[in-house]
Amino acid sequence: MKRALFVASSMATALAGCAKATNALNEWKPAHDLVGTAQALNHAVIGTRGNARLYSDSEITQDFPTNGLPTPTQAAYQSLVRDGFASYRLPVTGLVERPQTFDLRQLRALATLSQTTRHDCVEGWSVVGKWGGVPLGEFLKLVKPKREARYVVFYSFDHDDQGTQFYGSLDLVQAAHPQTQLALDLNGKPMDADHGGPVRLRIPTQLAYKSTKWVQRIEVVDTFKPIFGGKGGYWEDNGYEWYAGI
Amino acid sequence: MWYDALMQATAGSRQIIRTSTEPGQVVYRHSIATRITHWAGFIAILVLVMSGLQIFNATPYLDASDKSDPGRRVLEIGAEQAPGGAQAGFLRIGGWKITTTHVLGIGDDGQGGETERAFPGWITFPGYQDLADGRRWHFFFAWVMVICGAAYLIAGALRKDLGLIVLRPSDLPKLLPMQLYYFRLRKEPPEHGKYNPLQKAGYTVVLFVLSPFLVLTGLALSPGIDSMAHPLTFLLGGRQFARLWHFAAMVAITGFFFGHVFLVLSTGFFNNMRSMTAGTYRLGKHEGVGP
Repeated sequence: MKRALFVASSMATALAGCAKATNALNEWKPAHDLVGTAQALNHAVIGTRGNARLYSDSEITQDFPTNGLPTPTQAAYQSLVRDGFASYRLPVTGLVERPQTFDLRQLRALATLSQTTRHDCVEGWSVVGKWGGVPLGEFLKLVKPKREARYVVFYSFDHDDQGTQFYGSLDLVQAAHPQTQLALDLNGKPMDADHGGPVRLRIPTQLAYKSTKWVQRIEVVDTFKPIFGGKGGYWEDNGYEWYAGI
Repeated sequence: MWYDALMQATAGSRQIIRTSTEPGQVVYRHSIATRITHWAGFIAILVLVMSGLQIFNATPYLDASDKSDPGRRVLEIGAEQAPGGAQAGFLRIGGWKITTTHVLGIGDDGQGGETERAFPGWITFPGYQDLADGRRWHFFFAWVMVICGAAYLIAGALRKDLGLIVLRPSDLPKLLPMQLYYFRLRKEPPEHGKYNPLQKAGYTVVLFVLSPFLVLTGLALSPGIDSMAHPLTFLLGGRQFARLWHFAAMVAITGFFFGHVFLVLSTGFFNNMRSMTAGTYRLGKHEGVGP
């Protein structure tokens, strides 16, 4: 009996050592940096090619989830919710020839792209939904990115528990992909507050964490290094890859 | 420098490769390319399995469908309220369900405590729950694994001896006698070459079926790859189904790993380890160097 206990306790110690070892390796910067190099390889090899598969409307997921961060509680956003997003304005600034601010009526006039696609979460699950809205590539032509422009940054109304603002970014190739859109509708209805309304980004060729919800403003930049954590997005600043095609 | 030393140390044995061999003869068995890719591949598989379980934990169920579908859930690991009131971990496969508290569903949090999570901290990479870093390690070692596999195959093709490991029709009648020999139901193994018929069967499946399948089912999970190659994800039954296949293939290769280690231990551990480190190997009875 004592011997069985001894064996069991030494096994438990050995197992606890496993986690300690992998944790230490993960936190050892040279190793962590080294394994991070795979992202550039994935970006180069996979990149942004082809189109996400299109589904029929009968395949739309019932009980559509509201995953990710909770709906913003900030006063600025909540007052928009109260007036049904009537006072929503989307400013586009930065390295553009024609900085402009759009209201929902203007955006709706540009909404020519409706597509039923699969939304692949980094966590592993998928849902199928129908998103309608403005093709981002066409939208950017209106504001004319300058020659030095490289990235489009999407700032969200949302903030985490620590008050850090949510944001994300795409390069101009990803932004100009014909399926990348500023979505205004979900499954035939105007996007509600829980699903990222009134405007969310939707890029079906990448994992869903790139599809910024509750877009507050758009900025075109040549580098995202000076913005917040400098990795090009809230999730990127929290360890996820900027390139999310895999 | 260490390479020159190794070459010198094994120079003698490398010259004694002959077609006709006798038991007890020392032969040069594994090339330097095979030995390097074997050990690098071992580390890669270890990290891939552990980081893969870390990634699994973020969505601890598998559906036989394209989009997630609770109606087609094949496997699930979770925690639920037990009759006594305490939380209990469970593993559910189809209609079969067992309590797995302290191992699956509820277990090691990787930081000295216990928490609700599918696979425990001692088997994930890293130990604590961190999807972003699990993915980081997984993708890097996926590249290491692919490069090792390709290097092994290319080196074998260049040496013109890759065929020695491939199962041939003439090996089929020898599979049963070899298995009986392993079970101690037959005194002598059948006459064979560098690899015995069971080794050939195992390695052929792992090298040419399981490994490519693991790569393809993993790639099928990527929305970028799916955009480039719809038929891949489609043929696997969709994204969630691909995730199920990827997991099943991982279970298969883990099974191979334990069988492999058992056989390395039980068929002359030191001789086997010598062949995969220094490269030299003492032949057993009815064993050769040919096909």
